[in-house]
Amino acid sequence: MLTRKWSLTILLVCALVFAVGAAAMAKSAIFWTAPNPSQEVFWHEMAKRFMAENPEYNIQILPMAEAPSSEATILTAIAGGTAPAASENIFIGFGAELVQSQALVPLDTMPGWDELIAARKMEEAIKGWVFPDGHYYILPIYCNPILYGWRTDILAELGVDGIPETYEEIIEVGRLAKEQDMFLMIRPALVMPNWWERWFDFFTLYDAIRGDVPFITGSEITADEDAVLDVFQFYYDLAQEGLILTQEVPDPFQIGMSVWIELGPWTFPGWREQYPEMVYGETYTLTMPPIPEKHRTDAAGNTFADAKGLVLYAQAGQEEREAVWDFIRWVFSNPDHDLLWIETTALPPVRDDLADNPVFAAYLEAAPYLVPYAESLPLAVPPFTHSAFADIQTALGEEGLIPVVRLQKTPEQAWADAKAEINRILSR
Amino acid sequence: MRRLTKGEGVTGWIFTIPYLAFTFVFFILPFLWGFLLIFSEWNLISPVREFVGLGNLIEALQSRRVHAAALVPFKIMAIFLPAVLIMSLGIAVLINSFKKRQGLLAVAFFLPYLASGVSMSLVVKGVVSYTSPVNKTISSIIGYVPDWLGTPSLAILVIALMIAWRFSGYYALIFLSGLQSIPNELYEAAQIDGAGRIKSFFKITIPQLYPALYSVMILAVGLMFGVFTEPYMLTGGGPNLATHTWYLEIYYQAFNTLRAGYASSIALYNAIAVFIVVGIVRRIMQAWGRAHGWED
Repeated sequence: MLTRKWSLTILLVCALVFAVGAAAMAKSAIFWTAPNPSQEVFWHEMAKRFMAENPEYNIQILPMAEAPSSEATILTAIAGGTAPAASENIFIGFGAELVQSQALVPLDTMPGWDELIAARKMEEAIKGWVFPDGHYYILPIYCNPILYGWRTDILAELGVDGIPETYEEIIEVGRLAKEQDMFLMIRPALVMPNWWERWFDFFTLYDAIRGDVPFITGSEITADEDAVLDVFQFYYDLAQEGLILTQEVPDPFQIGMSVWIELGPWTFPGWREQYPEMVYGETYTLTMPPIPEKHRTDAAGNTFADAKGLVLYAQAGQEEREAVWDFIRWVFSNPDHDLLWIETTALPPVRDDLADNPVFAAYLEAAPYLVPYAESLPLAVPPFTHSAFADIQTALGEEGLIPVVRLQKTPEQAWADAKAEINRILSR
Repeated sequence: MRRLTKGEGVTGWIFTIPYLAFTFVFFILPFLWGFLLIFSEWNLISPVREFVGLGNLIEALQSRRVHAAALVPFKIMAIFLPAVLIMSLGIAVLINSFKKRQGLLAVAFFLPYLASGVSMSLVVKGVVSYTSPVNKTISSIIGYVPDWLGTPSLAILVIALMIAWRFSGYYALIFLSGLQSIPNELYEAAQIDGAGRIKSFFKITIPQLYPALYSVMILAVGLMFGVFTEPYMLTGGGPNLATHTWYLEIYYQAFNTLRAGYASSIALYNAIAVFIVVGIVRRIMQAWGRAHGWED
């Protein structure tokens, strides 16, 4: 007869064998989330629910390291052969670098791609995410359209009726603000060479005029040069009249030192705590980016989309890839999951129906400042797809926009210099 | 000298292996790898690694950004060196003048060195902000608010002084140990000969501090070629590349444009620049030491 000790040992061994066997048979995959606690929470919750419904899957959620940058972390992982099956937090410019290095799987070759796009109601939004080879490598998850905030209470004090929509009207308001020792806009980043700042100060205004004309196509500048010059001229005029300040001021818009600011939807949760007096519809409002008067009738009317999505890595095995793809399809085929996403992260999910779908109605009612963002989602243009995105935007800043704001170059000279430098980069 | 026995030699090697392994894995291998990268255009993951020969080295030599990065350490140094020497010597003399609680004072001045560069940058950003009390005072005197981080010369000044603030407590400790090793008899003899305190300071204290000064000068000059956090946080290298340092350029090329080979070639130039400048400073300091009776 077996002793108690032996019985226990055999039981433990059996349990171990069963567990190892089950793990080996499970469809396993690793998914990296952005290094953002709220996004981590969402993905953990999704994996938990998915595995509860589908016990044959084992989806492991891990946050990607943030230092020195999430891009460098991904590159290092791929170089070291330790890339996950999939990850989020990929913007289209970095995606282009990965595509060029053959590191990504074209998602439109995965089973159920079309059904997923239809189920998530993103037929319009996905159009901006096609790569030059005609494939889709990134499934956009969230999109932050950039809008402009106006201090309506201060505008009323200045005697301004209505919200300015054109460059000319904005300059008029700037002059009125200056008379009251205020600035139209306070933005130190306007003269910072960091490449990503051009998304918010240049591309937002460029897309408003000619968002339908890509800035770069393949290896050529295809930008509407008149639109570029219009944007440069606008900043030049603002700087020349002393309507903008490029020095550091903590929260200038909130404290009423400036009346105009570009805003992404990530701003507002912080305001609720720190500036409860900032109430949408009372003290401030949100608008699409302005345009020159001459383009009132023919402007594209777009804005820039600070958007990120998820990718599948070519390095992962076929089974791992299929497992994570099943998980991804499950997550994004249900609007309730997108509701959980926006509730958890406050980042608008990429859906054409975000403003109309009743699933999101209650949430948007409680956060009315997000309604203009939801409405502008179909008009938001993602960054251009070129692997030298950082160099191109750095050149646009150092040779173009920054000297214009500093009144060191005329808009024409600045664009000529920036164009020459960008062409040099493109021909590299 | 007695020769080591075989057993002693083996023991020595065993004790040395951890450090040798560390050096090999974290210094020699990366150095060799970086050196090989110089000759390629590669983002670390692409299946295509293009051999470009000396292309990266030539491109770096012609780059406006690299030229700026090569110049900036000297611009910062011109303010940083006198500032940090005066501040650290002053702190050391001050601490040395106290009979009690020298340790506590030394720790107090050493604290900025331990603070993170990021948090210190945020403090400085607040100090130079448009609405800060400092700027309000200045504006009431000169009639306008200086654009501290937007004017090339002022941005350099802010960064240099900030680094000096951070390192003066650390260098003061080196000077303090030097001060405490100067024999008191020298001062007594000078006093008998009629030398005042200022004369004693310049004729006795400074020359006697040569070993400490030598160390501080080498450390401080080397530091100038590795400045990163302060300009990264405060200016992003601007305005007009006025604060664009070697490390900012290496970081930008490696982690923003993802050009590992090109970044490695800039790192090589950075290493050569450090080697040459530190070599020159070393020789100047040795000559000064010899002139004051110190041997090499």
